[in-house]
Amino acid sequence: MRQRDPLTVEEARELDALDRALLGDPVDADLRELEDLVCDIRATAPEMSPGFAARLEHQAQEGFPDSQEQPAQRRQRRRLLVLLPAAGTLAAVLVALVVVLGNAGDDEMTTFADKSAVPRESETSGAASGAAAKPEAAPLPQDSARMQAAPPPSASASGSASTADPATAPAPSVVPRAATPGGSVAPADRARKVQRSADLALSVPMDKLDSTTDGVIRTVDRFGGIVASSAIGSDDDTGEASFDLRIPTGRLDDALAALSKLGHVAERRQSLVDITGSFTSAEDRLSDARAERRGLLKALGKATTQQQIGSLRAQLRIVRGQIARLNGDLESLRRRADLSRVSVTVRGDGSKADQDTGGAGRWSPGDAARDAVRVLEVIAGVALIALAVAVPLALLAGLVALGVRSGRRRRREGALDPA
Amino acid sequence: MDEPLNTTTPSFDALYRECARDLYAYVRTLLGDDASAEDVTALAFERAYRRRCTFDSERGSRRGWLFGIARNAALDELRRRRRAAPLIGDLADELAPDPDEQADLAVRRTTVRAALAALPARERELVALKFHGGLSNAELAVVLGTSETNAATRVHRAVTKLRKACHAPA
Repeated sequence: MRQRDPLTVEEARELDALDRALLGDPVDADLRELEDLVCDIRATAPEMSPGFAARLEHQAQEGFPDSQEQPAQRRQRRRLLVLLPAAGTLAAVLVALVVVLGNAGDDEMTTFADKSAVPRESETSGAASGAAAKPEAAPLPQDSARMQAAPPPSASASGSASTADPATAPAPSVVPRAATPGGSVAPADRARKVQRSADLALSVPMDKLDSTTDGVIRTVDRFGGIVASSAIGSDDDTGEASFDLRIPTGRLDDALAALSKLGHVAERRQSLVDITGSFTSAEDRLSDARAERRGLLKALGKATTQQQIGSLRAQLRIVRGQIARLNGDLESLRRRADLSRVSVTVRGDGSKADQDTGGAGRWSPGDAARDAVRVLEVIAGVALIALAVAVPLALLAGLVALGVRSGRRRRREGALDPA
Repeated sequence: MDEPLNTTTPSFDALYRECARDLYAYVRTLLGDDASAEDVTALAFERAYRRRCTFDSERGSRRGWLFGIARNAALDELRRRRRAAPLIGDLADELAPDPDEQADLAVRRTTVRAALAALPARERELVALKFHGGLSNAELAVVLGTSETNAATRVHRAVTKLRKACHAPA
């Protein structure tokens, strides 16, 4: 609407007189004309026909039943008005749940309460990727030396194969490749050898330390592993048991999952080292040594002088020693690939479940309070994320509604403009 | 301030009885034909009755609220027809003097009718809201979606035109 200047005094006086005339009140003598105007215009007011007046009266008595507009359309519009905000809210809650569950999906419920202490999958992968920098994950010095010294025979031909599909790899995480001089890398996946290791720290109430250590042994037996070494120490309040385990690599994930259920997981790390290069190199050198031995044996058969025979036998001794050493190396590498090293530490802390609950494993009011707080935290998180989704949606919907309303108003006002 | 309409039906019935004739006069003036005016008047009451719970006395009077609903319905009808409605549907009939009127009065009212018919549609609507609907400038402002000052200015301009047209030589 076009804004105009404020009314002048005379205009205000005339409007006042008009309002008085419309109300039937007397007006100033010089504005009596307005009284006549009101009277004349009102006299020209269109009147209802008696028939319509009767119909309208009947409708009024009936409570103005729907007759003019399509009730179905109106119902549909009303349903839409209810459904749209409901759908928006539902979508926001769903998004929030997906976000929250997505974040929590990698952790078990036991670790959920202390997530900060548990490295996420990406962190685990990171540890594995950066394994070369860590003593427990680094390739053995001799492996490195062999890899540097003897690139696999097929390395140059399998350059592209070195970037083969990781899905075929024995481990889900990124496997660091053993680089060789000239950019050569490990051979194809079918010959791949990966050494896996894991560190697991469990925290349990002091009175459950013994049962947990028994559980570790049972778990190792169940998965066909061996306990390389173990140590248990305790005093009045605290105790600690450490195990150096070897678990068949193919069952490592299941074994780790089972071990993690024995207590609260305070820390869990995994690392991977690709030892394919070392393995291939040792195999090649073994093959060379065997070929050399065959050559020496042939030469020995053809030797005629005692000096030649002596020299060849001495060389054969050296080669046999090399073959034995290389066989040992290969066996060691096979063991490293087939059996994963798992270091488990079980710590018994001072908090005794028995004192709180009056019995091992019982669910105490303290646990209930902690769980309740946790539930409230999750609900608050879901609500916050839902709000973060819903508020922009609501603002957008509000803007659209304002635009629609403004457009409709403009179109309506346009009906009064000349065609 | 008016009492809310969302309590009892009798309050709506009172509004209907108070406004029905004025509302019809306004709608008929805006649309220009009896049939449409009857349909839109009935529709306006239907809508008002259905939405009586949404009436907010803090945002204006009941009368202004009802006229606002009627205005929207009438403008929608005008949009459907896609033509500006003449103020007086059948000028030939309505400009004709009433046989019962005295001669002077008949001449004067014929002049007024002609002056009204000559006004632009927006000003005719204002005159109808003001004179037939009996709305105050504040109520007009709510119905038209403008400020009270603007509504008053527009009323004054329309009335001034009307007065000049009535005094112009035939």
